[in-house]
Amino acid sequence: MAARWILGGIFVYASYDKVLAPAVFAKIIYGYDLFPAPFINLIAIIVPFLELVTGIALIIGFYPRSAALMVNAMLLFFITALSINLIRGHEFDCGCFSINSGAQETFAGTLIFRDFLLLALGLYIFFYRYERKLCVLSSPG
Amino acid sequence: MKAFKEISILLSVSIIAALAVNYFSPAGIALFGQWDTAKGVITANEKNHIVLNDLEIGDVTLAKKLYDSKQFVFVDARSQDDYDEGHIKGAVSLPVGQFDEKIEAFSEQYPPDKPIITYCSGRTCEDSHKLAQRLLEFGYLETGVFIDGFPGWEAAGYPIE
Repeated sequence: MAARWILGGIFVYASYDKVLAPAVFAKIIYGYDLFPAPFINLIAIIVPFLELVTGIALIIGFYPRSAALMVNAMLLFFITALSINLIRGHEFDCGCFSINSGAQETFAGTLIFRDFLLLALGLYIFFYRYERKLCVLSSPG
Repeated sequence: MKAFKEISILLSVSIIAALAVNYFSPAGIALFGQWDTAKGVITANEKNHIVLNDLEIGDVTLAKKLYDSKQFVFVDARSQDDYDEGHIKGAVSLPVGQFDEKIEAFSEQYPPDKPIITYCSGRTCEDSHKLAQRLLEFGYLETGVFIDGFPGWEAAGYPIE
């Protein structure tokens, strides 16, 4: 349960800034230089809400296993995007938590490491076999 | 199958919430943005967006002609640091982030009937548009935006300092 709260809380927190300012987030996505132009705005609109909804679902225990699966998929997606830009040495703004550009320029390797830690947490929740506590709606196993 | 159903529900809730909030929020953006630098300054097309294409000067040689006419003041919308590192020769610094503090002094030296051309760091930067917008609101009659900005000017080998 604690793992769900931590991971869910992180995802809700991360979504907050992006939900408020999709235009800035869209520009950050453009900066990743990975996605075709027609998808940039759609990603900027939908991804923050995916983070928000799955984060809340984890916290309140609404389909926690599926929410964890989706969070893991997103983390894998972030890790892939970060890795590609790390490998090709492309300078970019992560836009992970805050969208204030230039606020911090963390080394992409650190970010990837952090995402792997979160992924471990997500996998733990996914494979958790015992009874889940404080869940609104959860299907067994 | 159960997981499939659950994921579909979570996905649908996210997408519907995302589109609904984006539709009603004043900070919402269009479903498709303008991300091709060949077509001008990139923008997500916010509802109250500031990229006004009719102000844009997208041709470096045209900007140079206007520069040579000496009718226009070139105004640098970037930060003071960027300006100090290098700017179009004769350009005046007016960082858009410090507009309120600096506009008084600026307008005393350059009255609102003076035609102005703003620039920043090229087509991935909106500051020159923001600055032009602020200047128009302040009462300046004629402003243009040189969208290739300092990098475009420098690359063309035009005078800098």
